[in-house]
Amino acid sequence: MDYKFQFGVVWDNFPELLEGAWLTFQLGCFAFAGGAIIGLICAALKTYGPWPVRFVVNVYVVFITNTPALIQIYFLYFGLPEVGLRWSNEACLIIGLTLNAGAYLTLILRAGFLSVRITEIEAGQTLGMSLLQQVRYIIVPHIAKSIYPALANFFIVVLVMGTSVGALIGVDELTGQAINLSSVNYRWLEYFTVVAGMYVVLTFVASIGLALLGRWAFRVKARIF
Amino acid sequence: MPHLAVKDVRAKYGSLEVLKGISFSIEKGEIAALVGPSGSGKSTVLRALMGLTPITGGAVDIAGETMNYSSAKEVRAARDRMAVVFQQYNLFQNMTVMQNLTLAPLKIKKWNKSEVMSEARRLLGLVGLSDKADAFSDQLSGGQQQRVALARALALKPQILLLDEVTSALDPELVNEVLDAIRKLANEGMTMVIVSHEMAFVREVADKVVFMDAGQIIEAGTPTELFDTPRTDRARDFFSKILRH
Ligand SMILES: Nc1ncnc2c1ncn2[C@@H]1O[C@H](COP(=O)(O)OP(=O)(O)O)[C@@H](O)[C@H]1O
Ligand SMILES: [Mg+2]
Repeated sequence: MDYKFQFGVVWDNFPELLEGAWLTFQLGCFAFAGGAIIGLICAALKTYGPWPVRFVVNVYVVFITNTPALIQIYFLYFGLPEVGLRWSNEACLIIGLTLNAGAYLTLILRAGFLSVRITEIEAGQTLGMSLLQQVRYIIVPHIAKSIYPALANFFIVVLVMGTSVGALIGVDELTGQAINLSSVNYRWLEYFTVVAGMYVVLTFVASIGLALLGRWAFRVKARIF
Repeated sequence: MPHLAVKDVRAKYGSLEVLKGISFSIEKGEIAALVGPSGSGKSTVLRALMGLTPITGGAVDIAGETMNYSSAKEVRAARDRMAVVFQQYNLFQNMTVMQNLTLAPLKIKKWNKSEVMSEARRLLGLVGLSDKADAFSDQLSGGQQQRVALARALALKPQILLLDEVTSALDPELVNEVLDAIRKLANEGMTMVIVSHEMAFVREVADKVVFMDAGQIIEAGTPTELFDTPRTDRARDFFSKILRH
């Protein structure tokens, strides 16, 4: 054990790591936002749609949630070009992560749909609310509040675990950037120590932001740790 | 002319006819109590009046206007004139007490804000919850939540108030605080239809008792008539069981 830590090279290239972290954050936000739109539509279809539609949604959810995200993204990046569909590595990563997040968010949002109490809706009806007013004043706030903790947790999963898959198809997000840089000067240990720290800071900041947002918007007393 | 006249109202769940022609009426400021065994259709009468359960026949007169619930407009007209409180209070859980009271008057009726707020504060005083305006429902006891539900129903200034077993879900020591609030409304001259198993309370406040069984009215009259000298066997049976304790 006479390894000599040399963090100097890492600091020299720190701006590039920061760029990687910024890309990681953007990818996480994009995939989560896109996944939330898909999830919202699929959860509504799965809850209220006719059976053929429910079947299609179920196939999508089962297929995605039971295969690794890496396989899904390899399928898009290495598989589809064989049949003439060729996208850039970043496009494949965003599409793959979004479809992946969409399936998980379908399940989370559906739990929210099911948790709306019919009695509260009836109370709204007897007070004279139209359907749109029921959605706006009862259904949406209720769903948002009841699934907020699960949503916040899943955002962290996408942010950390999801995006880092990009390194394997050459996307220069934080993990990819660390692999690129350390394979030049072989300071793997130093780079990955620093990068691990950066992930912790990233998720820490995101968690606090989400907890404050939840407390402010939905009175969710989310515990950060 | 009666303030509320229920005329031959019928309702079905699937093929099961749960209301087989219900008729009764009350004057302004009177209180009718629906009593009867569980499953006899009492809740369905109130749900039908509020347009929550569709009726398959009959009509309802309120202050001389006839409603038959045949269109969304008719249902809205009924909901404009009546308000209901259920056993399970059904407060909006994501809102404070004050927001529960003011949401419908402000956002749906678009009434004047300062008048709505001061009326809401008056109602909270009436039900004894002036200090809970900013509480959320999960910070309140069952009795307190039920009184908020009462105030919320009154905030829309209904001509008729419907109460469905509003004390049944409460711990015994909380029942009186809710009954007290209803007594105050009775003294203010509120016209009400109540479903209750609190027979002492019914005897005290009701002007008319309507005894139901299996979707029909078996007997109706003053509390004294029904409790002390019922004319039908079914009523006699029911009251002898329920009044014994
Ligand atoms: N949602 C429903 N679907 C089917 N049947 C119902 C439903 N609600 C009530 N019923 C039936 O309608 C009848 C009357 O019920 P209800 O009005 O709740 O009686 P009560 O309030 O007097 O106890 C009962 O036989 C009950 O089983
Ligand atoms: Mg009932």
